[in-house]
Amino acid sequence: MPGQSTQQATIHARLPIVALFLIFLASLLIIHLANFQFFPRSVRQELERIGSSITNTTLRIPAERGLIYDRDGEPLTFNVVQYRLGVSPNLVFEAETLMKQLSVILDMDEVELFFKLTSDNVWEFVAGPISAEQGQAVAALDDISLGLEEIPRRFYPQGSLAAHVIGIVLDDGLIGTLGVEGAYNSTLAGRVMDLSVSNVPFDLPEDLPAEQRGQDIVLTLDRDVQFWMEVELERAVKENGAFRGSVIVMDPRNGEVLALANYPSFDPNNFLEITDPNLLVNPVVQETYEPGSLLQVLTAAAALESGAITPEWSYNDVGVIEIGGREFRNRYFQAHGVVDIAGVLTRSLHVGSAAMALEMGEEKFYNGLRAFGLGQATGVGLFNEDLGELRLRGDTGWTESTFGLNSYGQAMQVTQMQMITAFAAIANDGIMRQPHLVRQIIGEEGVRDARHSTVRRVLSPDTASILKELMVRAVREGAPEAYMSNYTVAGKPGTAQINTAIGYETGPNSSVVSFIGFLPADEPAVVAMVKLDRPDDFFGFEVAAPVFRRIADRLVILLEIPDDATRRELQAVEASLRAPRTEQG
Amino acid sequence: MSQAWFQHTFSRRRFQTQSQATAIAILSVAVLLILGSLYLSQVAAFAITNREIEDLISRRDEVKQQNERLIGEIASFRTVPRLYARAVEIGFRPAINDDIEYLVFAGYNPNRPTQPLAAAARHSAEPAAAEYAETFGGWLQAQFDLLRRQFQTFGE
Repeated sequence: MPGQSTQQATIHARLPIVALFLIFLASLLIIHLANFQFFPRSVRQELERIGSSITNTTLRIPAERGLIYDRDGEPLTFNVVQYRLGVSPNLVFEAETLMKQLSVILDMDEVELFFKLTSDNVWEFVAGPISAEQGQAVAALDDISLGLEEIPRRFYPQGSLAAHVIGIVLDDGLIGTLGVEGAYNSTLAGRVMDLSVSNVPFDLPEDLPAEQRGQDIVLTLDRDVQFWMEVELERAVKENGAFRGSVIVMDPRNGEVLALANYPSFDPNNFLEITDPNLLVNPVVQETYEPGSLLQVLTAAAALESGAITPEWSYNDVGVIEIGGREFRNRYFQAHGVVDIAGVLTRSLHVGSAAMALEMGEEKFYNGLRAFGLGQATGVGLFNEDLGELRLRGDTGWTESTFGLNSYGQAMQVTQMQMITAFAAIANDGIMRQPHLVRQIIGEEGVRDARHSTVRRVLSPDTASILKELMVRAVREGAPEAYMSNYTVAGKPGTAQINTAIGYETGPNSSVVSFIGFLPADEPAVVAMVKLDRPDDFFGFEVAAPVFRRIADRLVILLEIPDDATRRELQAVEASLRAPRTEQG
Repeated sequence: MSQAWFQHTFSRRRFQTQSQATAIAILSVAVLLILGSLYLSQVAAFAITNREIEDLISRRDEVKQQNERLIGEIASFRTVPRLYARAVEIGFRPAINDDIEYLVFAGYNPNRPTQPLAAAARHSAEPAAAEYAETFGGWLQAQFDLLRRQFQTFGE
C-alpha cells in the first residue's frame, strides 16, 4: 500500500506538468489557428480574386462619346446603339419557329437563317450591325440561344456637312480620326471602364457611373455659313472644270473658323463605302501646295515691316532679275518700267517680288515669313496638321536661287490654313490670332471656354494699314471680278503651277488658283480663302476672284455685315445716341 | 411514507423536467422557424427589389436610347438643305443685300458672346443622383413597414 501511495503521489506531482504541457500545446494550436486567419496580403488578394471571379463578372463599359455642336448649339453628331446578333445553334429549341420570327424582324432570307440556326458551330454570327429597334425586337423573343452585342455608333445628322471638320470614328465608336473627332479624341472619348458586376441575385445591381462620359465640344463653325460655302464651292468646282476645291471663312478679330468646306466631300455616316481614300484627307490642313503669287503680299509685308522699303518704293522693271546665278522673269517675259508696290501686287510681278526680297535680304525675308507662321503648325485643332516646308540657308536643297523663287511663292510648301491665318493677321491690324475651331468644351463641371490667345504681333498697325490699302488696289485694279460696289474689299489672287518631279506642269488644267480677301477693308469682319485645283482657266483672278465675290455676297448677309455707307451711317447714329449719355455721365 | 413521497416527487419532477425541455425545444424551433422565415422573406424581397431595379435600369437605358434616336431624327429634319428646300417650297427665297435694313439700337452689341443653349441643356437635363442619407431610425422604420406589408400579403 505504501508503494501505491508513492505512485499516486508521483502522479499527483506530475499531473500539473502534463496539464501545463497540454495547455501549452493547445495554446500553440490556437495561436496557429488564429494566425491562419491573417493571411499575407498577396495571398489574401489572390483568394479574394478567386472568390470574386466566381461571384463577379468583369464588363468593359465603353464611355458615351461627347457630342459636337456648331456655334449655335445645333448638334452635328449623335451616339446611337446598334447590335450584332449571334446564335448558339446547340441551344436552339425550335429552329423553324425561330427562323420565321428572325426573318420578319431582320428582313433576312429564311433559308440562310435556317442554315445558321442549325449549324454545327458552337457560335454563329447571324446579322449586324442591326438597328436598335430590331435589337429590341430580338431581345423581346427572350430566346436563350440568341446573343445580342451592343455596338456604339456615331450618327451625323447633318450628313456630309462639314465632314472634314467633324471627322469620323472608327473601331465601334471608340477611336476618332480626321477632323475634330481625331484631334480631340481624348476629350470626346471619356473613360472606358472595367466594371465588376456581381452574379449574385441578392446583390444590388450596378449603375453606370456618370462621370465616365466624354465631354461635349462646341465648334466655332456656323452651320448656315458652312452650308452656303459648300453650295458655292460645289458650283465653282463644277463650273470651272476643277479637280477639287476648298473654302475657308475666318473671323480675323478672334481667329474663329466659321466655315471650312472641301469639294468633293463624303458622308461620314457611310464612310466605309468610300472608294477613294484621298477623300478622307482634309486638304486644308493635311496637304500642302505652292502658294504662288499670293505670297507676294507677305513678301511686301516683310519688306515694309523690316524697313527695307518704304510705301513709296519703286523699281525699274526690265523684265528680268538675277539671284544666285539664275534669271527670274515675269510671266510672258514682259518688262513694266517703273513700278511701285501696288503695281507689283496688282500685276503679280515675279521680278518685283524678287527685287523687294533683295532689298531686305535673305534673313529679314525668312524671318518675316516665319513670323507669319509659315513652316509651323497653326494649331487650328484639326487632325494630323501638316507643317508645310520653308527651307532656309543650310537646309537640303536650298540654293541662292531658292530665295528668289520663294519671293513669289514657288519652291516652298504651305497649307491653306497657314495662308489664311497670315492674311487674317494683316486684316486684324497686324495681330495674329490663334486660328481655332473649338469654342467651348462642356463637361460635368460646366461650360469651359477654350482658351485661344494671340499668337503674336506680326506687323505694326501702320504697316498693316498700308498693306490693306495695297490689297484694296490689288482687287480694284488687278482682280475686278472680286470687286463689290458697296463694300471695300481687300484681297489678292494667286496662281501657282503644279510642281512635279520633272518640273512644272504645262498645258490645260495645270494650275492651282486661289484668292484671299477680307471685308470691309477698314474694319475687317471676315476673311475668306478660295482655292481650286486644276481649273479649266489658268489664273486666280479669272477663276478664284469671281468665286470669292459670290461667297462674299452670301457672307455679308449671313454675318450681317452692313455695306460701307450704311455702316458709316449706323456709326454716326450710334455716336449721336451715345453723346448725351456721356455728357450726363 | 417519506420514501413514497420521494418517489412521487421525483417522478413528477422528472415528468416536469421532460415537459419543460420539450416546451423549450418546441419554442426554440418555433423561434428559429420565425427567424428563418423572416430572413428568407427579407432576402426574397431584397432579390425581387434588385430584379425590379435591374429592369428599371434597362428600361431607362432603352428609353434613353429611344430619346437619343428621336433627337437625332429631329436634328436630321432640321438640316439646312431640308429647311432650305421647305422654305423655297412655301415661297421664300435667299435674301439679297437690298432686302436687309439695318437699325441702330443704343447699347446693342452685335458681336456679343452667345451661349449654345442646346448643348448646355444636355448636361443640365441629367438629374443628379439622390444622395444616400438614410438614418438608423429610417432604416428601422423601413424594415418595419416591409414586415407589415409582408404580413398583409400573407393575409390576402
